[in-house]
Amino acid sequence: MTNIAFYGEGLAGFTRTKPLPGRLLVLEGTDGVGRSTQIALLREWVESKGYAVQSTGMKRSALAGKGIKEAMRGHTLGNLTQNLFYATDMVDRLEKVIMPALRAGFVVLTDRYIYSIMARAIVRGVDPGWIRDVFGFALVPDLILYLHADLPHLIPRVLNARGFDYWESGMDVLPNRDYYEAFVEYQTRLLAQFEAMAEEYSFHRIDATRSIREVFQNLTQEIDLVLADMKPVSLEKATQELAEAMADGESGKAKKA
Amino acid sequence: MAKLPDGRALPGKLFIVEGIDGSGKSTQLDLLSKWLIGQGYCVAFSEWNSSPLVKTTTKKGKKKQMLSPSSFSLIHAADFADRLERQILPALKAGAIVLADRYIYTAFGRDVARGVAPEWVRKVYAFSVKPTVAFYFRVPLEESLRRILGGRPQLKYYEAGMDIGLSDDAYESFALFQGRILEEYDKMVDEFGLTVIDATLPLVKQQEIVRDIITPLLTGALRVEPSAWREVLAAESVYGRYLDEVLPERSTP
Repeated sequence: MTNIAFYGEGLAGFTRTKPLPGRLLVLEGTDGVGRSTQIALLREWVESKGYAVQSTGMKRSALAGKGIKEAMRGHTLGNLTQNLFYATDMVDRLEKVIMPALRAGFVVLTDRYIYSIMARAIVRGVDPGWIRDVFGFALVPDLILYLHADLPHLIPRVLNARGFDYWESGMDVLPNRDYYEAFVEYQTRLLAQFEAMAEEYSFHRIDATRSIREVFQNLTQEIDLVLADMKPVSLEKATQELAEAMADGESGKAKKA
Repeated sequence: MAKLPDGRALPGKLFIVEGIDGSGKSTQLDLLSKWLIGQGYCVAFSEWNSSPLVKTTTKKGKKKQMLSPSSFSLIHAADFADRLERQILPALKAGAIVLADRYIYTAFGRDVARGVAPEWVRKVYAFSVKPTVAFYFRVPLEESLRRILGGRPQLKYYEAGMDIGLSDDAYESFALFQGRILEEYDKMVDEFGLTVIDATLPLVKQQEIVRDIITPLLTGALRVEPSAWREVLAAESVYGRYLDEVLPERSTP
């Protein structure tokens, strides 16, 4: 059961107090640490155990996903604006995807959650208290798996994948360095922020410098514990429940008075 | 004086207008803007919900009715943040006068009327600049409804507060929603020290009151030479026929 606890005020109009039958599992970690590969593997693995799985991640909301991507292509997106845009994306997915899925008994796997956004914000000089306040609407997950690797491990993986990204290298905050130097500096600062959050938010640290297989096994051990008291739900049943949850609009549109 | 959240004063002046729909605040701000420009002040203007980076998303959300009270609140905060970062703050740092049609109090009024926690929305906007003067054009609900609904307009879904299900009738919903917002505004007068203007007074009288309040506060505000191009025309005997392309105000009589 996912007990309903929010980091702050919670979602406007959300009144349910009864635990949600699903589970919210978060994968966190920096660029190149292997989150998306592990999510793809985990999704299949959780499904094979008989659970319905809903997967989600940053910038995937119907409302704001496209808008953020477009804004990030330009060079005029400011710090506060970017964070509030991310918060809009997050709240939309929480209300329209995550909450209804948890209510219908899905295992929700999310590629990053509020911690990445907060770490990025703080590295960019945003007031740490403010960014925590903004995310007061976020649901406390059942499990936060923090994939951790040091820079010497991250760099070749990033280069092997898509190369250094403008934002992931912090070029917006470290403009007078080259991509390599900026990436090293920015990711070092980012890792420090993740470390600082690890205890406060009860991250489960996963050493991601090991092979994909070892990391995967480590993740499944942790997830097994969270799923232990959860009865498998067929995809058909969960999907039907989801349709009902969406029709009720428990956490999206407020109920008619 | 306009102030940063940490209390530091900014050289510019920030005057904002607030009030429910039909309070006549935009008209008053427009009159004020023309007067200030006529006096030679450097005036920047910022309107609620107008960020080029964000408004496409807001529009989509409204059109497709995708917005919940929380996402409605956050997307408007993102719009405000963009305007603050790129328009309002730079102009205030330069010492200019900034006029804003609606400000954070609009969010506090509307979002709380939609059921968002009052403390949370105040924290979300904690980065905002404290205005030099925040004018609140107070009008009785009946009067504003008469002004807005008199023409039997097509009310938009969120504008009428249809999303919170107060009534299935758009006009009735609008009236109830505006009533809730009005209550929130009245609570904010003391909380934020809003300057109340009686919006039932004649337009000219209201403008007079507004000008009397801000006149002593204009000392040191940045000025521009509004007719610099006129001097060139006079001295160099050119007509300036291509200036229309760069000076939009010149083509309007």
